[in-house]
Amino acid sequence: MDLSPRHEVEKPGELRQKVHRNRRRAVLAATVVLIAAAAFVTAQGLRNATLFFRNVDEAVEQRPELGDRRFRLQGRVVPASVDSESGVTTFQIVHGCVVASVRHTADPPALFASPWIPVVLEGEWVLSKVQTFAGIDTHYFLSDRMLVKHTNEYASVNEQRVSEKLPQGFFNDCPFEVPAADS
Amino acid sequence: MTQVPDSRHMTATTATRVLGTVALVAVVLMGLLGLVVSPADVVQGQAVRMLYLHVPSIWIAYGAFVLTSFSSALFLFRSRHRHDGGRHHDRLAGSAAEVGVVFAGVTLVTGMLWGRVTWGTYWQWDARLTTTVLLFVTYLGYLALRRLPADPVIRGRRAAVMALISFVNVPIVHFSVDWWRTLHQKASLSVGRRPEITGEMYWTLLYSTLAVTIVASWLIVHRYRVIRLEELRDEEALEALIASRLREDEAQA
Repeated sequence: MDLSPRHEVEKPGELRQKVHRNRRRAVLAATVVLIAAAAFVTAQGLRNATLFFRNVDEAVEQRPELGDRRFRLQGRVVPASVDSESGVTTFQIVHGCVVASVRHTADPPALFASPWIPVVLEGEWVLSKVQTFAGIDTHYFLSDRMLVKHTNEYASVNEQRVSEKLPQGFFNDCPFEVPAADS
Repeated sequence: MTQVPDSRHMTATTATRVLGTVALVAVVLMGLLGLVVSPADVVQGQAVRMLYLHVPSIWIAYGAFVLTSFSSALFLFRSRHRHDGGRHHDRLAGSAAEVGVVFAGVTLVTGMLWGRVTWGTYWQWDARLTTTVLLFVTYLGYLALRRLPADPVIRGRRAAVMALISFVNVPIVHFSVDWWRTLHQKASLSVGRRPEITGEMYWTLLYSTLAVTIVASWLIVHRYRVIRLEELRDEEALEALIASRLREDEAQA
């Protein structure tokens, strides 16, 4: 019995091989694009992901190294400090018993209005004498981008207003008085 | 007269029809609980409802990728002991990965929508978001590899190796919020820790996870059967070709 390829079936076979080859090229091209996308994502991730933000206490300690470089600053907004005038929002944020004064020049996200909400700000230190509720500081933080850092706590609107409470022990051993949310 | 396909050529059975009906009812109930019964969140308001799809989706994606890896390992190391050469494991790995990619995609889209409302941005390159998109892209690559024309066994081995490599990222995604500083919040539910989510919201989240699991199971079963049917179609086409050649030879003789 002869099952070896014959002339008649070679032509469709060649066509099939061509289709096969084209399909393989297309899939290889798609794979290369995917690998390139993965490499791009990894590069972006390594650049930004490992230290996404500095907490207020660290950023204040690192002021000499940071200079006027842009970075992300994280802290909880002190509700009693928020003020808005001519498109500029001023407020104070706190973390690790260190307070920083902030001038924010863009529109804050809607959740900024929640008391003691943690925020991540993009901007830089500016040399200027300012008064915070913890005392006099030599710099304020000039920010033009704000992200609200939502906590992992979820509570119904019908339950106690957890957001208006400070996290337990947040101001333990701090050398200053914390202004109340409605002061 | 139209030919009625036999059950071997269909993706549905009585069991999967029942499962499909249960999945549909479960999703309707999930919608009711998530959109009507459960309350708004004290801080994020109505945006919390996205959580009932976002969180179960990534858990299902993790589960699907675990199944892909487990099946791939069995295909690589135990296929010699099976009468079908391990193709069952290969099919299961492929169908689970497809469903995993769909749910990883749902996670990314719902997360971006939630982020716009809550964080004030659709996207940030923080560790959780970056590793999740990497997970999505890697498993897309795995699915592309499965489509490369090659001998089924060789292609299955290559895909299985890729599946095992890709799985390394799953624990990295999950623990990224603990290992690095991220904009994304830490897990609200963890084994051995008091849940950070209360009342109806907690139960709605657990129920949504069950509903999405049923949907994913139904999808995996059907995708498995579709892959098997594709293989069957190829085998039957080859058999028909050989038979026609045999007939030609007999006619010539």
